[in-house]
Amino acid sequence: MSASSSQALEYLELLPRQTHTKLYDQPSTVLAIFRCMLPHIAKSIVMAMLYMPGHFASADLDTWFRPDGRGEKDKALSVLEQLHIIVLKQDANRHSSYELYKGFQKSLRQALEGSGTHRSFGVPSSQPDPNKVTVAFLDEYARKQWENILYYMVGSTVGFATAGALGQDVGEGTKALLKMGEFVKVNNGRVSITRAGFTFVLQETNAQVWSLLIVYLRNSPQLGMSETDVLSFLFMLGSLELGQDYTITTLSATQRSMLDDLSAFGIVYRSSKTASTFYPTRLAVTLTSDSGALSTSDLALSSSLTPSAGSRSGSNTQGFIIVETNYRIYAYTSSLLQIAVLSLFTKLTTRFPNLVSGKLTKESITRAIKLGISSQQILSYLSSHAHPQMRGIIHPTVMDQIRLWEYEGERVETTDGYLMKEFGTEQEYKELVGYAESLGVLVWRDDAKRRFFVDRMEQIKLYLGKQQRSRG
Amino acid sequence: MNAIDGTDRHVKADDTPPPSLLAIVLDTNPHAWAHLSNTLPLSSAVANLLVFINAHLASGNANEVAVIASHSHKASWLYPTPKSATPSSSSHNGTSNSSTNPPAPPENPNKYRPFALVESAILSNLSHLLTSTTEAHLASTPTTLIGGALSLALSYIAKSTLLHSPLDTSLEATALSALADSETTHAVRIPLTSRILIISVSGDLANQYIPVMNSIFAAQRKRIPIDILKLAGDTVLLQQASDATGGVYMKPERPEGILQYLMMGFLPDVTARRSFVMPSAGGVDFRAACFCHRKVVDVGYVCSVCLSIFCEPTLPDNTCLTCGSYLSLRTAQTPQPALLPRKKKKKKRVAGGTDSTTPGGTPVGSGTPMHG
Repeated sequence: MSASSSQALEYLELLPRQTHTKLYDQPSTVLAIFRCMLPHIAKSIVMAMLYMPGHFASADLDTWFRPDGRGEKDKALSVLEQLHIIVLKQDANRHSSYELYKGFQKSLRQALEGSGTHRSFGVPSSQPDPNKVTVAFLDEYARKQWENILYYMVGSTVGFATAGALGQDVGEGTKALLKMGEFVKVNNGRVSITRAGFTFVLQETNAQVWSLLIVYLRNSPQLGMSETDVLSFLFMLGSLELGQDYTITTLSATQRSMLDDLSAFGIVYRSSKTASTFYPTRLAVTLTSDSGALSTSDLALSSSLTPSAGSRSGSNTQGFIIVETNYRIYAYTSSLLQIAVLSLFTKLTTRFPNLVSGKLTKESITRAIKLGISSQQILSYLSSHAHPQMRGIIHPTVMDQIRLWEYEGERVETTDGYLMKEFGTEQEYKELVGYAESLGVLVWRDDAKRRFFVDRMEQIKLYLGKQQRSRG
Repeated sequence: MNAIDGTDRHVKADDTPPPSLLAIVLDTNPHAWAHLSNTLPLSSAVANLLVFINAHLASGNANEVAVIASHSHKASWLYPTPKSATPSSSSHNGTSNSSTNPPAPPENPNKYRPFALVESAILSNLSHLLTSTTEAHLASTPTTLIGGALSLALSYIAKSTLLHSPLDTSLEATALSALADSETTHAVRIPLTSRILIISVSGDLANQYIPVMNSIFAAQRKRIPIDILKLAGDTVLLQQASDATGGVYMKPERPEGILQYLMMGFLPDVTARRSFVMPSAGGVDFRAACFCHRKVVDVGYVCSVCLSIFCEPTLPDNTCLTCGSYLSLRTAQTPQPALLPRKKKKKKRVAGGTDSTTPGGTPVGSGTPMHG
């Protein structure tokens, strides 16, 4: 599970049960959720239960796990319960057992067997398209659209907005969406990037797409769209075939209206607004896959960022930035987007056709930090785009100095969350703090005073509720 | 890049399990499936297997699968379909006219396309294999070429691991890029975890004792678990395979329920198995099979040159059946080997087959020495 899908998972977890139930009607959605959202152990549990004739007694489940796999088990089960995939039931004899939700079970079986008549994996167009487009064209289209959006965010901040055609033809809908997601803010008609926006720009492409789509999802009810429809359409897109055209006749009205927005993002391509078919681009088909397919989407997008690398045949995922120990930066790029990103935290001095050079200065770093960019973000940007000759390592001097410049400004770190205190017994405290630790939400603990601090509450709440029920 | 995602603290992104390659050896021995046809015909076994393969592919985005049929007269690829241009990778019996590229599967909106591709390849290759089997092939042998299929699986895994594992491009690039695809040479690689699953129905495999044993040792060395699903018959050889490589061994009472056995027992990959208690063979029979009559022996005679095992001392022409060297066992046959007077250098007599951990007093017949 990568950063990109974990964002989507966080969003999914917060949905109410009714939405989940509706979502699980579509085998493509169920398969996509299974493939990319679930922790590895959870997948094994679901598969073991999928064709099980009866319930899975929780005692049996316990014996199936090794003693040291307990933490993994708790995490997997809590995600599964949160997503309303399994439910814990108690029969008359107080024997508890797990059970898959019927809708989920049915859809996942259909997805694996290829049975049913749901047609949820996309219906290819029956007529051959006279103007069939190639995969290379789709990649180019997706890259152009997406880079436009990024450039709109970054370019205007650093005052490049008039420098080129990039970032100009971003649709009003997309601009509004970026504003709603608080990726950019507009002051006196001037667009500037926010901290969230910078996080967004520095993410992997796949994660960027998800972040934007999640904003889209959050706002879909206001646009009169059903969240379920939007989500299942996105998951369907993720299971389509690149380079194939699909008919829109089987789509719902919501989904058809989504096509316009999605083609503005570069996620799907349509030859015209009234075309009866659409092509998914690489951004779409990698929505529900991570590591494996991600490199290809990065590759497609970076192909123009490093034009020197030329063809898309593989080696152009490499970086282009050289950082010297004297804080000088050389970046072999001619992409306006990359230059704009660099200029957020570097003092750029010279630009050549294929190279820009500049220097990291205290001034430039503190300016970036004021914009809401953290030193960690800068460093990870530099190291992930480092030139192969750098071997992905930035010199410790530079790393430390960038951090020190940041620490000068901030002495206190804050975490939003919840303080748990006033436990009745040591036992109760130990249990709950252990559970919080295994979920990975524990931030701080004070054993002497039986207090601890968590940054997420939902699962703890469920756990407490469950315990109360089992006691009472 | 995960670290920069400030929102990502709930689920750590680093625990992405490595992709896993599952090589399935399907025993398609027609004789054995004929016996099973009442409880589990081959067609439904394959249908269940396909669901299992889909489940495996769904369990990880980069998961891969390879399927090999171990047939009565040859071992043959079912998936991926061998390229006809490279005969060496297709089957150890030569390609003959086996599978050219199968037609693309029809677009089915009810099926996830990667699943459909795998399924149609497996089904078309399997039906090709079955139609090309003649009666002469069937009559010639009642068993299956598990050894050849295992070697195919191991060599495929070795190749895939090479394609996935990180390489130092500066050092070994020239040697290895010849083997690797030029496309992937420079890409960042992620380790691949592999395992082999043998779905076996044939009982008597002792005639392939040597090739199978060699494959087992190769798998052991490469840390590739060999899982065994034994639907019918029984053979000590495969028990030893799963025991030696740390794989799963299951012999279901009811072969009809194959899918549930597969989903629960065999689906967790090497990463997931760290958290689960996996079924194993329990008491493993470490006895070896004799090379002359393929009987499992408690006490046998061993050729001093090639270590072949024989159950009785009467060998034709006093030569070893395996290596052909002179081997007179008659002199070794004596009721009291301990009191043997000093003679010329003679053939040794060993107790208990290959493994010294087998207790000496093994009861003859059904009694299985318990190991550990």
